[in-house]
Amino acid sequence: MKFFIGDLPVLFPYPRIYPEQYAYMCDLKRTLDSGGHCVLEMPSGTGKTVSLLSLIVAYQQFYPEHRKLIYCSRTMSEIEKALAELKALMKYRADQLGEVEDFRALGLTSRKNLCLHPSVKREKSGSVVDARCRSLTAGFVKEKKERGEDVELCVYHENLDLLEPHNLLPTGVWTLDGMARYGEQHKQCPYFTSRRMMPFCNVIIYSYHYLLDPKIAERVSKELSKDCIVVFDEAHNIDNVCIESLSIDLTEDSLRKAARGASNLERKISEMKDTDAQKLQNEYSKLVEGLQAADEARDEGAFMSNPALPDDLLKEAVPGNIRRAEHFTAFLKRFIEYLKTRMKVLHVISETPPSFLQHLKELTFIEKKPLRFCAERLTSLVRTLELSNIEDYQPLQEVASFATLVATYDTGFLLILEPYESDTATVPNPILHFTCLDAAIAIKPVLERFSSVIITSGTISPLEMYPKMLGFNTVVQESYAMTLARRSFLPMIVTRGSDQGSMSSGFQTRNDPSNVRNYGSLLVEYSKLTPDGIVVFFPSYLYMESIISMWQGMGILDQVWKNKLILVETPDSQETSLALETYRTACSNGRGAVLLCVARGKVSEGIDFDHHYGRTVLCIGVPFQYTESRILKARLEFLRETYRIRENDFLSFDAMRHCAQCLGRVLRGKDDYGIMVMADKRFAKKRNQLPKWISSALMESDSNMSVDQSVATAKKFLKTMSKPFPARMQDGVSTWSYEDLMQHKGKIDAERQLDGPMNGDADAYNMHGDQIMNEAQGADGMDVDADFDAAMNSMDV
Amino acid sequence: MSRAAQSKPAPAVKRPGGGGGSGGDAADGGRLHDDLSSLRVADPATESCPVCKSSRYLNANLRFLVNPECYHKMCESCVDRIFSHGPAQCPLPGCKRTLRKHRFRVQTFEDIKVEREVDIRKRVALVFNKREEDFEDLRAYNDYLNDVEDITFNLVEGIDVEKSNQRLESYRSLHADEIAANQHLAQEEKMSYKELQKQERQQAKLRREAAHREEEEERREAAETKRDMLNRLAMGTEDAETVAKEGQQVQLKRRMDRQAAAERQRQLQAASDMNNGSSNLVIKGLKSRKAPEPEAPIDPFGGLSFEGRQYYNLQDEYTWEVIQNPKKDKVVRAGGYDVMEQFGGRALCEAFSGLGVFVADETSEGVKGEQDERVAGTRRAEVGAKDVKMEDPF
Ligand code: SF4
Ligand SMILES: [Zn+2]
Ligand SMILES: [Zn+2]
Repeated sequence: MKFFIGDLPVLFPYPRIYPEQYAYMCDLKRTLDSGGHCVLEMPSGTGKTVSLLSLIVAYQQFYPEHRKLIYCSRTMSEIEKALAELKALMKYRADQLGEVEDFRALGLTSRKNLCLHPSVKREKSGSVVDARCRSLTAGFVKEKKERGEDVELCVYHENLDLLEPHNLLPTGVWTLDGMARYGEQHKQCPYFTSRRMMPFCNVIIYSYHYLLDPKIAERVSKELSKDCIVVFDEAHNIDNVCIESLSIDLTEDSLRKAARGASNLERKISEMKDTDAQKLQNEYSKLVEGLQAADEARDEGAFMSNPALPDDLLKEAVPGNIRRAEHFTAFLKRFIEYLKTRMKVLHVISETPPSFLQHLKELTFIEKKPLRFCAERLTSLVRTLELSNIEDYQPLQEVASFATLVATYDTGFLLILEPYESDTATVPNPILHFTCLDAAIAIKPVLERFSSVIITSGTISPLEMYPKMLGFNTVVQESYAMTLARRSFLPMIVTRGSDQGSMSSGFQTRNDPSNVRNYGSLLVEYSKLTPDGIVVFFPSYLYMESIISMWQGMGILDQVWKNKLILVETPDSQETSLALETYRTACSNGRGAVLLCVARGKVSEGIDFDHHYGRTVLCIGVPFQYTESRILKARLEFLRETYRIRENDFLSFDAMRHCAQCLGRVLRGKDDYGIMVMADKRFAKKRNQLPKWISSALMESDSNMSVDQSVATAKKFLKTMSKPFPARMQDGVSTWSYEDLMQHKGKIDAERQLDGPMNGDADAYNMHGDQIMNEAQGADGMDVDADFDAAMNSMDV
Repeated sequence: MSRAAQSKPAPAVKRPGGGGGSGGDAADGGRLHDDLSSLRVADPATESCPVCKSSRYLNANLRFLVNPECYHKMCESCVDRIFSHGPAQCPLPGCKRTLRKHRFRVQTFEDIKVEREVDIRKRVALVFNKREEDFEDLRAYNDYLNDVEDITFNLVEGIDVEKSNQRLESYRSLHADEIAANQHLAQEEKMSYKELQKQERQQAKLRREAAHREEEEERREAAETKRDMLNRLAMGTEDAETVAKEGQQVQLKRRMDRQAAAERQRQLQAASDMNNGSSNLVIKGLKSRKAPEPEAPIDPFGGLSFEGRQYYNLQDEYTWEVIQNPKKDKVVRAGGYDVMEQFGGRALCEAFSGLGVFVADETSEGVKGEQDERVAGTRRAEVGAKDVKMEDPF
């Protein structure tokens, strides 16, 4: 259907629209118009992606600026989904407009997923694929070939150079598969096609890392212009992605390999001195002049890029004491040797970068500045030496990245040395964590460079936490409730067992037999009453294991077994995917199954359990992080000191966002229904940290139940759900046709007229999402808001 | 014990040059370097002493020491046994160096080469300690770094050791003062950094404690409110709803108060930090003090030049009796003074003093001084551009 938001004509590829989708689009447009950042929370399963795409594409095509869209998502499957939606949208637009627009959109993912080279693509690890590809495509390899040496090149990459550089790919929406097919047909590499075509695209869809990880962003996303619209979808974990992109772990093994790499370099240098000393001399004189950066930039396949953020790069010539190749390798060796010595310490050390540098200088006379240039210098050396088996140098590259980072950032980072893997281990297995504590560091360049950054997810409550942690201001910050024609999901908080003993995964009581038995009976009851699939989330693998073994002893598993198949998630992703497959088969053939998994595992993040794949989700315990982790402790302290976020507030926020993710797994659309059980007495105090759409559906009476009460309610709920509910009942309430939309719009306009003198009608078209939502909810007769307010005022803040 | 063989030092030490330099630590680094490559530490768990062959496998407390004279490793008890009675020869086959007990020390780095390299660097760093701010531009500094690294690298790798040592020594003697000054500076910096760190740790601890206290307080208050509410409910005189509402409000208000107080506190703190920060605060981010400029010879006239020749030239001869007469006078010449300089110069100087301001010089618009019109030995300064004619004093 087609409608207007203000002056902007929007083509929406479905005949009906949800009120929250309309509200979401209005807020999006408001953000884009005002040119700022926003945080939006949209209930899961309400077509967030399609609303986002249709609004932004409309915006692009209508206004003369044609702002480019950069859509970032987390996983491959999400990227594929978004591309498919976009494709459908563009088809719809073409049908409606009667012409195919000049529009190009493509996805980008790692070489591993896109590579076509017959032997390279068979490599298992992504980093090996990258390294091998680099050794087939690097600039110097080609030069060698031109000189007539016998080196291998990748034809898929070579063919690209034969094409017009801005027209490697026809217009249209290219899914990853489509791209691979096109690449195979035309014998051109899909990965490099995507990368080179990025400046000529209207929409780019790729993973967070291409924007947030400085090592990649520098290469891939540098040329994007300032007025791009950046969207981070499924962004509830964005702070962790930011932190990981700047953190490095070193082990004894990796140091050993790095040392070997340095020795190899040394050998190569002396070889080259004998055969081609001129090349080294050329590099040297280039470094003296400080000419490095310029021709580095052109090499898209270069060995590595600087891990520091563009703003923090030192733009000057490489320091004199690492200019000579042999000086630099000796320098690296000394640094690695120093790190090895540090690893020998048998107690935990946490240290700030300045104090690390101080000690380093005292012991080895390594200064901060040459350390800062390590990454850059290494890249240049690898290029000069024309190394072909780049994958051997990865550990060395890691050390160089570490060197550069530690010498660049004084604050917001911490070095933590843990000599033992766990508290009980006796054999040391030291790990040096160089951990970033401040999520704002990595995302800062993105927020500063692009005028509109949209951060959105199904569960991103409390909204104000994200701007605080990431250090930015929003122009719009909104959470939408879900409009429903009937209550199609049932959130409950179970705090007690049938014996009235409280239930909790808290540290003191987690292994109490009575507590475990209560959890067990909860599972048994729900396995009896739920049709099809049940998903159970535990706070951690450790707790899951211990509770399962206790259940085994109590005979609880046997009782569940009578009703349903039991499957378990493990840290091994292959095993887990097998379990998932079995689970789906069991659900499909009617017997149903129970999937036991972990709140921070793979399942909780990327897998949907729509319809019969998930009718009940049980959250056993509040999924707090493991607070004894030193890295977490350091981060908590940092948050407190820098952003004044209290430790408990953060922990609770983090637990609840994961909980909300788990709960959201079972509800993937408005025609779906499901039961959400949060089983822990501590949930009762945390209910208003849930996303608005869940907490507004959580009745006061359902927020402190015992197991038997909840079972009774759930039975009642399922009974109503089993009644047929024709789609037309939703019309005008939870889905709007064009007429409904116009009618509601008219109502809002009328209201605005009433308080006209106050508002003026200058921004009459700038409809606010919350007005629309209020209006929509007023219409559907469900007294959700009152309930929500009650929740807000509940005294257990 | 297959490892034992591996960690034995190279049996035959080639000495092509025939002994000689056992003076400096690393005087003959080249040969040393060859020996050392075989000296890498093996697996620490089975490491064994090359002298007495006892290994860590048998004696877990085995400690190894090295002497920077030859970097041969041996166990503590061997060191005690051999060197307690004064200097002795290194017991390792082929190594004839004399070692003293007090120089034995624990090895810091696993790679003995690096251990030795660091010793050399220490020596070099004590001499070449110039700083970036001592240089005109970055390029010069980088070139300096490059040179220093060349010397160090040569010393470490044993290339041209003699020459490198010479360069080092000559630099040391030439720049002794500078070296001392920079050393002092570095020392100071280190001290202030340590101090700063200590203070920061202290502050962090205080803040942490404050946060804990605050949380504690909050929890206590919440409990109190709850108790209060329960009491009132138990009395049964009031309506449950209102009690609950009031309870909430009390709590909310308290929280607000606390937040406001914390905010005030923070502002106060910030203000006081700014005002009397000098009391015991270490100031961050100060540029390290500039080394004083080398003192110039005393100039009592503060840079005033008496080489007033800018305006006139002294000629060899003047046909003026005031000069001619003394020139002939023996009494005057007896003192050895140059009569021309004394009399002629003085006269000219007096004539021109007071004419110190030259518009042309100030505007720098081309002193066309090339019009060397020597009128009575003077040069007239001409102001071309502005057409200001100077009167010729003579
Ligand atoms: S250029 Fe493309 S096809 Fe060739 S190895 Fe690299 S990723 Fe694979
Ligand atoms: Zn011994
Ligand atoms: Zn010896």
